[in-house]
Amino acid sequence: MNEKIRKRPVILDGDPGHDDAIAWVLAATADEFDIRAITTVAGNQTLEKVTYNARRIAALLKLDIEVARGRNRPLCSDLIIAPNFHGETGLDGPALPEPDHELSSLSAPEMMAKVLQESEEKMTIISTGAQTNVAALLLSHPELKEMIEMVSTMGGGLRNGNWTSGAEFNILVDPEAAYTLIHSGVKLQMCGLDVTEKALVYPEDWERIRALNNPVARIVAEWFDFFFIHVKSLGWSGATTHDPCAVMSLLHPEIFDIRDYYVDVELNGKYMRGATIADYNGILGKEANCHCVVDLDREKFVDYLIQACAKFEGWEVNL
Amino acid sequence: MRKIPIWIDTDTGVDDAVAILTAVKMEELEIVGVSAVAGNTSQENAFRNARDVLALAGRKDIRVYPGAEKPLLRTLEYAEHVHGRNGLGNAEIEHSDAPIEEKKAWDALYEKARELKGELVVCPVGPLTNIAIAIALHPDIVDYIKELNIMGGAADGGNVTPCAEFNIYADPHAAENVFKSGIPVNMFGLDVTMKAYLFDEDIAEISSYGNKASDLFRDSTGLVYRIRQQRKKQGLCEHDSCPIVYTAHPDWFEGHKCGIYVETQGKISTGKTVTDLWTDFKYEDRHCQVFLDLDQPRFAKLIKDAYKSYGEENN
Repeated sequence: MNEKIRKRPVILDGDPGHDDAIAWVLAATADEFDIRAITTVAGNQTLEKVTYNARRIAALLKLDIEVARGRNRPLCSDLIIAPNFHGETGLDGPALPEPDHELSSLSAPEMMAKVLQESEEKMTIISTGAQTNVAALLLSHPELKEMIEMVSTMGGGLRNGNWTSGAEFNILVDPEAAYTLIHSGVKLQMCGLDVTEKALVYPEDWERIRALNNPVARIVAEWFDFFFIHVKSLGWSGATTHDPCAVMSLLHPEIFDIRDYYVDVELNGKYMRGATIADYNGILGKEANCHCVVDLDREKFVDYLIQACAKFEGWEVNL
Repeated sequence: MRKIPIWIDTDTGVDDAVAILTAVKMEELEIVGVSAVAGNTSQENAFRNARDVLALAGRKDIRVYPGAEKPLLRTLEYAEHVHGRNGLGNAEIEHSDAPIEEKKAWDALYEKARELKGELVVCPVGPLTNIAIAIALHPDIVDYIKELNIMGGAADGGNVTPCAEFNIYADPHAAENVFKSGIPVNMFGLDVTMKAYLFDEDIAEISSYGNKASDLFRDSTGLVYRIRQQRKKQGLCEHDSCPIVYTAHPDWFEGHKCGIYVETQGKISTGKTVTDLWTDFKYEDRHCQVFLDLDQPRFAKLIKDAYKSYGEENN
């Protein structure tokens, strides 16, 4: 019991997705974390598909947690999905165990509110999809902001986008949700493309993961295999390992370069809707509202990832 | 050696004056026309300053044409805190007595471009209003301009807003029009111009030459230099000289092929030059180059040498 209280209580909110899945593997192996909830959001694929994936990942990682699903669309936008990266299922590639827990009867933001209300200490939300659920939580339960230690999110890009010339995918899916979060006053750490496009995992790196030869490591390697098919076609020499940055920057902040800026989200715009714009030079004279992660020690990132996968030695998976 | 014919479209402007005085002394270039546009200062000031600066350079023969008095759609705020009330940092110089041209910038530019049969290089260093009007009025001008070497924009960052640079922000609709016109565009935005330093020792050296050009340099740069010092930044950045120097020395600059569009409908990002340089998403239209770096020592030396060469004539 005492052991548990010392751990950092976290909520995993995402749209798995290969890189969400790898982020969750990392989170599940972290002794520092106590995972209190898993919630899903539409994005990389439809809500139904990513929720099924989340439940299969929970079964793979033997997490004794009910998954709660969010809404099937963003706050205001029409849903966009990324089957080019993640396939028809949203998590194409290796076979996974079937879900072994019921789907929660609570919605994702209800589940978040419940675990925050029940918690004796502040919690960290790790958001690796659109911020739809987090925004719904903040809008419906503003009194729970004080129970949030921090939101660590993968999203945005100070210098560039990826899905459009201005915007990164997660923010573009639900710019209004990102806007709500960034202006909420909640402590926010953002891993944008500035860092995640430097978090390159090369084929030889995930061959080291595969060579660990435990069931989860083999699956992680196969997720990389699949994800890299499309990433490679865009000209990248390694897999842009986006979502794991949101977890790794909590576990090992010392290997990241984190800068504090005032950041805003463009909600309008012909080219810039969904762009995250940082005031590098303080032109607006506003206080910083975001810890922006902009660079990392790639080698150490890969080493920690491999160490996490090595923890599944002797793991049994029922396919 | 055959000189490159260039046209300078300017909102003259402290650093515009440097660009003009430098261009005059570059033996690779022949300035075949200058046009004025509202931006740093009013069109009226810009027109007068361009004429006066050319007269100071001993080149009253170079014709200066009046241009747009305001942006296509937006209301302009002049940059008086940098360029002073008169556009030249409140420095006073003798007025030119050259004949005053009545012909408008967009017509004069078009005629010159046709006359030169596609050889003309246009260097707009202010808002792109005149160029946009020229394209709208004379659509076939796109076939007669070799390239547009533009000072404006920023692939990353901004100076008026967190993501917009002054010249583009001043008239984003004109800029969007020009970038999409099909004319090859080389964009010298803040990414490169903020590296185009004259350091304190360069400034001191130029100011010591004791000719009319260097006196103007000394007297006009006081306002902007003090702002830079307050912001704890070294030296001065010669934004507008970048496209001019590039025209003669392209190998001193590092450019990347890309597409560039201009945001005109943003709530906080209007005036941003949106490039696909670093994004997985690519525009269909990629006829632009964005410049990110330059050989600063050679750039600074060229400007210093240009100013020094005025001494021989004036003293």
